Amino acid sequence: MAALRPRANSCRTGAGASVLALCLLLSGSTRAADWPEFRGPGGRGAAPAETIRTTWSETDGIAWRADLPGKGASSPIVVGDLVVVTASSGPRQDQLHLLAFDVATGGLRWQRTFWATGRTLCHPTSAVAAGTPASDGTRIIALFSSCDLFALDRDGRLLWQRNLAVEHPRSGNDVGMGASPRIIDGTVVVQIDCQGDAFAAGIDAVTGADRWTVPREKIASWSTPLAVELPEHGACVALQNPNGLELRRARDGDLVWSWKGDCSGIPMTTEAAGMLYIPNDGLAAVSPVAAESTPSWRSTKLACGIASPLAWGDAVATINRAGVLTVAARADGALQGQVRLAGSFWASPILVGDTVVAANKEGATFLVSVGDGPGGKPRIIAENQLPGTFTATPAVADGCLYLRSETTLWKIASP
Amino acid sequence: MRRRRAIVSAVIAWSLVHPGVASASQPPQSEMEAVAIATDLARADGIEAQVRFASQADAVAGMPAEWIVPCLEALREATPAGANWLRSGLERAADRAGEALRVDRLADVARDDARPPRARGLAYTWLKARQPQLADSLLDALLDDPALELRREAVDKLLASAATVDEPLQTEIHRRALAAARDIDQIERIAGWLAEHGEPVDLAATLGFVRRWLVSPAFDNKQGVGFAKAYPPESPAPDTAGWQPIVSADKHGAVDLNATVAAEKGVLAYALATVEMPTAGPAEVRIGSPCAVQVWVNGEPVMQHEIYHASEAIDQYVDTADFRAGANTVLVKCCQNEQTEAWAADWKFQLRICDRLGTPLATQK
Repeated sequence: MAALRPRANSCRTGAGASVLALCLLLSGSTRAADWPEFRGPGGRGAAPAETIRTTWSETDGIAWRADLPGKGASSPIVVGDLVVVTASSGPRQDQLHLLAFDVATGGLRWQRTFWATGRTLCHPTSAVAAGTPASDGTRIIALFSSCDLFALDRDGRLLWQRNLAVEHPRSGNDVGMGASPRIIDGTVVVQIDCQGDAFAAGIDAVTGADRWTVPREKIASWSTPLAVELPEHGACVALQNPNGLELRRARDGDLVWSWKGDCSGIPMTTEAAGMLYIPNDGLAAVSPVAAESTPSWRSTKLACGIASPLAWGDAVATINRAGVLTVAARADGALQGQVRLAGSFWASPILVGDTVVAANKEGATFLVSVGDGPGGKPRIIAENQLPGTFTATPAVADGCLYLRSETTLWKIASP
Repeated sequence: MRRRRAIVSAVIAWSLVHPGVASASQPPQSEMEAVAIATDLARADGIEAQVRFASQADAVAGMPAEWIVPCLEALREATPAGANWLRSGLERAADRAGEALRVDRLADVARDDARPPRARGLAYTWLKARQPQLADSLLDALLDDPALELRREAVDKLLASAATVDEPLQTEIHRRALAAARDIDQIERIAGWLAEHGEPVDLAATLGFVRRWLVSPAFDNKQGVGFAKAYPPESPAPDTAGWQPIVSADKHGAVDLNATVAAEKGVLAYALATVEMPTAGPAEVRIGSPCAVQVWVNGEPVMQHEIYHASEAIDQYVDTADFRAGANTVLVKCCQNEQTEAWAADWKFQLRICDRLGTPLATQK
C-alpha cells in the first residue's frame, strides 16, 4: 500500500521545524501528534512530519467510523486519546452536542448535550455546529453558532460556559456564525462578527472570565482568528473582516497592528516565516511588523473560494471557487502550477508531508503532490471517495486522517 | 407520587428563599439535599461563580439513580445557563446510573404534561435509550402535547402508521397529523403529501399568516437613515389615504414590496393590518424578512431588527405583544438597503400571530 512520506532532505524541513515549534509554543500541553484546533496546531493547516496512506474507500483503509447524532461543519480535533467533534440536532437545531470518541477504537467515551441559548437559524450549507473546538490539552472549548461557548475537561465535565448571545443580545447571524475559537497564551479568543452586537473577546481558559472585550465593526464575517507570534508583542491574534485585519495581543486585547483593505470574510489569513497571507480578491503577502503595510506582493491568480490558503516552505496554495488548486512561490507570488480538482470546496486544504489534502463537498478527497521542489507543479496522486456531504476541514494525527461528513466521522487508517 | 411531588415542591420553595445554601461539591446525602442542589444550580447566572456551579454539577452527577427524576423538576425555573449546568450534571448521573434509572419513573415524567417540557424531553430521551418500545407507546397520547419535541415525535409516529393502511385512511391520518403539527418543516411535508393525493392545502391559512395589508408609498432609507427615523405612519393615528390594499397570494404569506411599492433600493415602506384576536392577552408576533424590520401592535413597539440580507426564515424574529380581544392593528416597517448583489434584491416580509407553540391565533375579516 502506498503511503505519503515526508522528504528527509526537503528544503521544507526548516519550515516544518518552525511549524512544530509554533505548535509547542501555542498549544500548551498538547502532544506534538495532537490536532488540537481548526486547521491544526497554530491554525496553519500543516502537518509536515505526518505520513498518511494514499488510498481508501468506504470498505478499505478505514480504521473506524462513527455515526453522529446531528449535523455539523466543524472539524474533529485530536487530543491525546480522544477525538472530539461537535454536532447539533433537533427541528430547531438547538440541541448542541460535544462527542468524544476513543482514538483507537472509535467507541464513544462521552457525549454532552446542551440547549442553545442564542439564535440557531442557519443557511442549509452551514450548521449550528460550524466552529471547530479547540483544546489546550486539558480543556476542550467549543463555540456554536448560537454564540454558546462551553469548556469541558477531557472527561466531559463542564468547567464553565458563556452564553454570549444572552450577554450580547443582538449578536449572531441567521446565515450561521462560522469562526472557531482559538486558545492563545491561555486566552480563549472568540470573534463574533455580525450586523448586530459585533465583538471579539479574550476569555481566561481556566476560569471563563473576561480578560478583554472589544467592539467590532457591524459586519458579518466567518473567518477564524489566527495565532501570530510577534517579536515585540509576543502571542497575538489576527482578526479579519471584509474591511481589513487587525492584530491584538492575546493576553490583554491591545491593538498592536492593523491593515485596512479588501479582506475576505470567509477564508482565514495564514502565516509563514513572519509574513501574513491575506485572502481578498486574490492573495496578498503583508508583513505585520512594517509600519507601511503595503503588500509585498498581491496576486489575483491566487483567489480563494471558501477554503483558506496554505503557506509552507517556499510555497503558498489556494483553491478557488471553480475547484482549481493553485501553487505559487511564497517569496513573490509567481505562479508555479495549477491543477483542476472536481467538485466544490467548503473545507480548507491541509498539508501532510509534501502533499496537499483537499476534501470536496461531494466526498472526494484529493491528494496533490506539491513536493517536486522549487518550481514544481502540483500533481494529483490520488482521489478517494466516501459517501456523504463534507464541509469540514480534515484533521490528521499519528498517521491517520479524520474526515467528517454531515452524519459520520471517519478515521482513515495509518499506512 | 403526590406526596413525593409535594416534598419536591417544598424543597424548591425553600431553596428559592435560601439561594446559594446548597453549594456542596460532595454527592448529596438525601433526596431533599439533591433537589436543593439541583434547584440552586438551575438558577445559575453570571460568570463569577462558575467554580461553584461546576462543583454543584459534580454533586448532581454523583447522586444515586433514584434521585435523578425528582431533580428534573428544577428545570421549571431554570435560567439559560442553569438549565445547561443542571443538564450536564444530570446526564453524567444518568450515564453512570445506566439501567438503574427506572424506566417507569421516566415514563411518568415524559407523559405528564404538567412537568416542565425540558424535563419531559430529557426523561423521554433517557427512556428511549433504555426501552424504546415503552417510549414509543407513550406517543399516541401526545399528539396535542404542549412540549413541541414530544408532539413532533407523536406526529411522526402517526405519519409512519399511514404506511400500514390503505389510501382513504392514509388521507385521514395526514389530515389529523396536519392539525397536530406545529413545526414548519413537518407541516410542509404533510401538506405536500396531501397535495400529491388530491387534497391541496392552503399553507398560508394553515400557518396563520396575515395576508391582508394596507401598504404605504416608499420613504427614504438611503444609507439606512430611515430605520431610526419616525415617519408620519408611526404617529398614533396614521393617515392611510393613498395606501395600497393588497392580499398576499404567496403560499407563505409573503408581502412583496418590490412588486407592491417599487423595485427600488434605499427605501422603506409601512404595512398596516387589522387582525381579530379571540381573547385579550399576550401572543407571539412572528415575522420573517431579509430586510430590517420594526413592528408595532396597537401603536406599541414590539420589536426592531436592523439586519439586512443575512438570511430569512419563517418565524425569524419572535416577540410577545399584548393584544385586545377583537380588532387590533399591526404596523410593520420594512427597510431595504442599497446592496447591489442579486441576492440582496428581495424586499418583503411575512408575519403571523401565534401562541407559544406556533398555533395561529389571529384572523382577518
